[in-house]
Amino acid sequence: QSRVVTGKVTASEDGTALPGVSVSLKGTSRGVTTTADGSYKISIDNGAALQFSFVGYKPQTISVGSQSTINVVLVADAAELSEVVVTALGLTRTKNSLPYAAQQVKGDELTRVRTGNAFSALSGRVAGLQITQGNAIGGSTNVVIRGNKSLTGNNQALFVVDGVPVDNTNKNTANQQTGRGGYDYGNAAADINPDDIESMTVLKGAAATALYGSRASNGVIMITSKKAKKGLGLTINAGLTVGTIDKSTFATYQNQYGAGYSDPYQKDGFLYFDANGDGTKDLVINTAEDASYGTKFNPALMVYQWDSFDPAGPNYLKAKPYTAALNTPAKFYETAISNNVNVQLDGATDQGTFKLGYTRNDERGTLPNSNVSKNIMNLAGSYNISKKVTASAAANFSVIEGKGRYGSGYSGLNVNQNFRQWYQTNVDILDQKEAYFRNQQNVTWNWSDPSSAAGLKPIYTDNYYWTRYQNYQNDTRSRLFGNAMVNYKAADFLNFMGRVTVDTYNEFQEERIAVGSQGVPAYSRFDRTFQELNYDLMGNFDKEILTGLNLKALAGLNLRKSYIRSISAATNGGLIVPGLYSIANSRGTVSAPTENYNPREVFGVFGGLTFTYKDFLTLDGTIRQDKSSTLPVANNAYLYYAGSASWLFSHHIEDLPWLTSGKLRMNYATVGNDAPWGSIKNVYDKPDPFGSTILFSAPSTQNNPFLKPEQTQSKEIGLEMAFLQNRLGFDFTYYHTNTLDQILPASVSSATGFSSTYVNAGNIENKGFEVSLYASPIKTADFSWNVNVNWTKNSSLVLSLYNDSKNLQLATFQGGVSLNASVGQPYGILQGKTWKYVNGQKLVKSNGRYDVTATTTNNIGNVNPDWIGGINNSFKYKNVTLNFLIDMKRGGSVFSLDQYYGQATGVYPESVVVNDKGNPSRSPVAEGGGVIMPGVLADGSVNTIRVENDYGTFGYAQNPAAAFVYDASYIKLREANIVYSLPSSIVRKLGGVKGVDLSVFGRNLWIIQKYVPYADPEENLSSGNLQGNQSGAYPTTRSIGFNIKLLF
Amino acid sequence: CTEDISQLNIETKRPAAVPAPTLFSNAVKTISGSLASPSVNTNVFRFTVSHWAMSTYQDEAQYDFATRNIPQGWWTSMYRDVIADLRESAKLINADASLLPAEKANKLAIIDIMEVYTYSILVNTFGNIPYSESLNPAILFPKYDDAKTVSTDLINRLNADITKINTSAAGFASAEDLIYKGSVAKWLKFANTLRMKIGMVQADVDANVAKSAVEASDAGAISSAADNGLFTYMAASPNQNPLYVDIVLGGRSDYIAAKDLMDKLLGWNDPRTSAFFTPNNAGVYAGGIVGKGNTYVDFSRAGTKIIDASAPCVLADYVETEFLRAEAKERGFNVAGTAESHYNNAIRASIIYWGGSAADADAYLAQASVAYTTAAGDWKQKIGTQKWIALYNRPYEGWVELRRLDQPKISAPVGAKSGFPTRLTYAANEQTLNGTNYTAAASAIGGDVVTTKLYWDKF
Repeated sequence: QSRVVTGKVTASEDGTALPGVSVSLKGTSRGVTTTADGSYKISIDNGAALQFSFVGYKPQTISVGSQSTINVVLVADAAELSEVVVTALGLTRTKNSLPYAAQQVKGDELTRVRTGNAFSALSGRVAGLQITQGNAIGGSTNVVIRGNKSLTGNNQALFVVDGVPVDNTNKNTANQQTGRGGYDYGNAAADINPDDIESMTVLKGAAATALYGSRASNGVIMITSKKAKKGLGLTINAGLTVGTIDKSTFATYQNQYGAGYSDPYQKDGFLYFDANGDGTKDLVINTAEDASYGTKFNPALMVYQWDSFDPAGPNYLKAKPYTAALNTPAKFYETAISNNVNVQLDGATDQGTFKLGYTRNDERGTLPNSNVSKNIMNLAGSYNISKKVTASAAANFSVIEGKGRYGSGYSGLNVNQNFRQWYQTNVDILDQKEAYFRNQQNVTWNWSDPSSAAGLKPIYTDNYYWTRYQNYQNDTRSRLFGNAMVNYKAADFLNFMGRVTVDTYNEFQEERIAVGSQGVPAYSRFDRTFQELNYDLMGNFDKEILTGLNLKALAGLNLRKSYIRSISAATNGGLIVPGLYSIANSRGTVSAPTENYNPREVFGVFGGLTFTYKDFLTLDGTIRQDKSSTLPVANNAYLYYAGSASWLFSHHIEDLPWLTSGKLRMNYATVGNDAPWGSIKNVYDKPDPFGSTILFSAPSTQNNPFLKPEQTQSKEIGLEMAFLQNRLGFDFTYYHTNTLDQILPASVSSATGFSSTYVNAGNIENKGFEVSLYASPIKTADFSWNVNVNWTKNSSLVLSLYNDSKNLQLATFQGGVSLNASVGQPYGILQGKTWKYVNGQKLVKSNGRYDVTATTTNNIGNVNPDWIGGINNSFKYKNVTLNFLIDMKRGGSVFSLDQYYGQATGVYPESVVVNDKGNPSRSPVAEGGGVIMPGVLADGSVNTIRVENDYGTFGYAQNPAAAFVYDASYIKLREANIVYSLPSSIVRKLGGVKGVDLSVFGRNLWIIQKYVPYADPEENLSSGNLQGNQSGAYPTTRSIGFNIKLLF
Repeated sequence: CTEDISQLNIETKRPAAVPAPTLFSNAVKTISGSLASPSVNTNVFRFTVSHWAMSTYQDEAQYDFATRNIPQGWWTSMYRDVIADLRESAKLINADASLLPAEKANKLAIIDIMEVYTYSILVNTFGNIPYSESLNPAILFPKYDDAKTVSTDLINRLNADITKINTSAAGFASAEDLIYKGSVAKWLKFANTLRMKIGMVQADVDANVAKSAVEASDAGAISSAADNGLFTYMAASPNQNPLYVDIVLGGRSDYIAAKDLMDKLLGWNDPRTSAFFTPNNAGVYAGGIVGKGNTYVDFSRAGTKIIDASAPCVLADYVETEFLRAEAKERGFNVAGTAESHYNNAIRASIIYWGGSAADADAYLAQASVAYTTAAGDWKQKIGTQKWIALYNRPYEGWVELRRLDQPKISAPVGAKSGFPTRLTYAANEQTLNGTNYTAAASAIGGDVVTTKLYWDKF
């Protein structure tokens, strides 16, 4: 006998109606959802029970009895341990039964502060996850979970969006990554729409990710996109952000001495020739000398400067007072502006769901003429073909366009190379600006030889505005990723899924150097296509097979087919027609374009069993075999497995009021990995022909037809506890991984004829602790305070390399510095010249300068932090929420090429210190100037030798690279935001609008502590394994924005 | 399925098989590039021998070889980029059953001559070097061989190559042979000059080895400028002279003439001065002090003849051969002619090579301070000084001769980081990768520092 029950569902925290709540009849598939005012109507049978469930709220089950009206108050779900967590392959698990570490972050946490890249916002929010990001516009984000495991391979986490692995390759060139110039094009995961993220789950260990196959050995960031809700929903976000450079991360200039290299030149530190044609010789600043160790400024002294030789300029043939520039290069940086609009439309009925979204993010950087824009569209839908069969598809299409990305590293295309290293403090940057804009000509301060007409060309640097407006790059990447899927629910306990996923993008990059520049005019282009298809077939079984014992089983197949196809071409020897950027405009014979075609196929078979006994004991086992095309046929299949257990021990302790829950978990897993493409068989290189003579060359890396798969072994143990009704809780994990038999191009003596040879060798160990803490110290009806703390300590150790070799050079940087994996050391040791010591004191030579090792193989730094952490606070008072995130890193070293050179050239205030006698140290020793380098002489006595403070005294020429390795620790107020939600009483009056949120946010607001002078300790050149090197570092952009969010 | 999957690993854009001569040509181009280059990252010997000075950045001029890993660059380019390609070329030629035996023998001999040439640079740069175990894919960490043993073997190999060469059979095709355009006979002369040179390097420690090598080579060695082994660059990119690429295209304006050389040129009114250098802004020739800051506009710069895009790189020439013959006479070896005549021939050939006339040469030689009989000092000083000038733009060779003849005495750079470098330290990689063998070699030669003298460097 059936009858109708009605009622209304409201939220416990503010009593407002909850629309879209699912109301279902227990034990049947019958159900309805609440309407906009929270009411529902459902017909039931006698004795039935109703289940109420809604995302973010605790579900409730109510026996109906004889009532005809049932009003329900849903309580927001703060119970971390009963959360549902999305795990590998999109399977959901309750956190209670999860036997491995997985940390979830809600999408709105990441998008409260609106940036173009959701992953940079993860910094400090997840234990075990280290995020490093540079300050360049659209630059790459380094995402490493639990340390670098592979010596030379990829160590970045795998990104998966709704089951689609999304390629995150970083194509920055080796030169770019080692600081020798080029652009940071960012990594490809930046194409994921931050506004479409419901939640991110970070799967950290191999046991959690083994089902994903070999690519997941570095951990997985699983992204679940927003799901359509019943009814029709429309969300609009619009925001504007402005940013300026954080001056503590940029150079400060001394203003007492001008151009020169401690050289008298032709007269008194100047050139001396007739500059204005009046027949008498004049003092002229030596424009070719890119340093500031010259003559002391003297406003009474009239000198000819670079602009005295600019016929279009107001100072042509005129002298100016010899003074420090009024406007330093800090003025070169502009206000960054970005705007962001996002529209999401979604809806669902019993028949299916749909979702449509569009996001546009337009970002103008702090450098002139820089812009990165993103247009992202997404469409997803599902249709319930029958009660048992559901079909669904989702597609994301994005177009990213960049223009004028920041040049990086030691290159004229990076303005910071000069600003931080080679600059004349007498050059006024705004004068340079006017000089360029007058006629759009390359009027540099750095004339090669101002005394001759032929010398009026740049010797080292172009006018920086010329660089930004003429020698810019541009790029586009258009991308499609998505899936099509059919689900067949054969029975309540048995489900089959077939799916095809695709991820494909085309990218195009153009770089140019204009005719009239210091460098050889050039144009180059790079075209690359990536495509990956995955075919998945999976069966899932989930049933209580004995009383209290649940079995989940799965079995599946995965076929992955991918390829990379690329071509790059460049002009040679200059351009013919100025301003024409085409390969055909090459002055010299064009080199053959470089082509690549790297197809790959991996076939995987996998299965898993999970036994759960009475919700407190879980045993989990997975196994997978992959067969990869990149390995030699004889060794191309590899099997790996994981075993895990979790025990909810609080289940047995019922009578402790302060203990909410407690869980112990442990697991062990191995993951195999295949070889990089093309590492089996040798092929030849083809240099440019010499005229009609064809040239080939033997490769510098010897490939290996006997490679076998590499293996990561990982162990993990964790404890999760919650107290006081979930007001307090923690998650503690200890992990230990070893990556063995690594496939790597091991460096060998080049007397072999090769630089490296592919081998299976090496063992890196990573072990560490992860702690997440959460607490709600205050929780009242009107006011609440929540705090989240994440802390990670990872220790890496290189246990072995190939054979007897003790060191693997990962990269060489400038300054004789290299990054290495050394046996017995953490992965990522900086080596270079250091001081010689006597009794632990720096040794000073008899000339008063430091004695420096001749060798460059001394350990001078370790790029790994001692620990990283984040503290996230959230205060809520009625409709106002304040959040702020403090992000911390302790330890880890960075080498600053900027200081290495910049301290030598005397641009920084350190070079004009007052000496121990109270005199200006730049004055000659004979006049009471000079400095005494702290240290001891060979006999152990304290050094008292006074030396001239001249070019190189504090920089590279007289000091080892070790002097410029800094502690990269920082504490940052990473972000803060205030959100005000209009009270529903007001919103109702607006008509049609369900909610209005106004927010003000800031990012990179304050670097509370750091030790790297004049730079952001976090600034890097690129994502990837080559960290710990700053060269032409960009200042941090401190941004503040406003956003309005409308829900309809 | 297995079959299909393995197909995906086949490289479709780069070849697994190539014509053998292309690797030989590439090796020749690479070694010429290394010898010609003025890059501060690889070939800084122009400063070491005081031919050039720097206006601003003094590090390499002050003997800092470590910061830019110069030994590593030099070592790797010789082994990996030159010898490896020569070996690969020889391997493919050996395997080619279609070649006529005499042609095959000629090609293999020519490849071997270039390999000996390259090894002689390595052994005279570093001392003991990997040799018997080098270039073997199965030995990734080769042992080092004694430098003298290596040099002796190099002479033996040249002996064999010289015997094998058949001047009536073909060698490489003209386009493949970037030095002699296919002339086997000229390669034979090149080999003799090379043997003479490698032999003479040992004259102070083993006069017999030097004597037999020089005497065996005298008649067959380079006998005129027409026999010069030149690698001639092209006017068009990307095959221009590395000096042009660095200085003209790259816009480097900080290399200047060194005072030591300029003073000699000016003192003897040398007709090569205007070819070697350009005048400063004031129109006069001036050389800067090595290691000290020098105002660029006040000094002479590299001459237009050497920074010409298509200027050649000299691998072996008549000038050095004649100087060797002059020296041989002085050492009492049995070669034709007199020391004076060879000395005059060498200087005359050098002046003419640099664009001077016979009359210029005569006038130069007529000066009492230049003429062999009246010039200052013993034969080492006379030959050493003139050879040092004539080896302008052959900086590596100039460095060998400075160490060997100890003449002329050049000024130490201001702010020198060490004494005069009598070798380069081993590549930094060798220390960390090939540690056991490296340590043994370092101790065998007397320490891996730049001031360790090589076994032949007695004085």
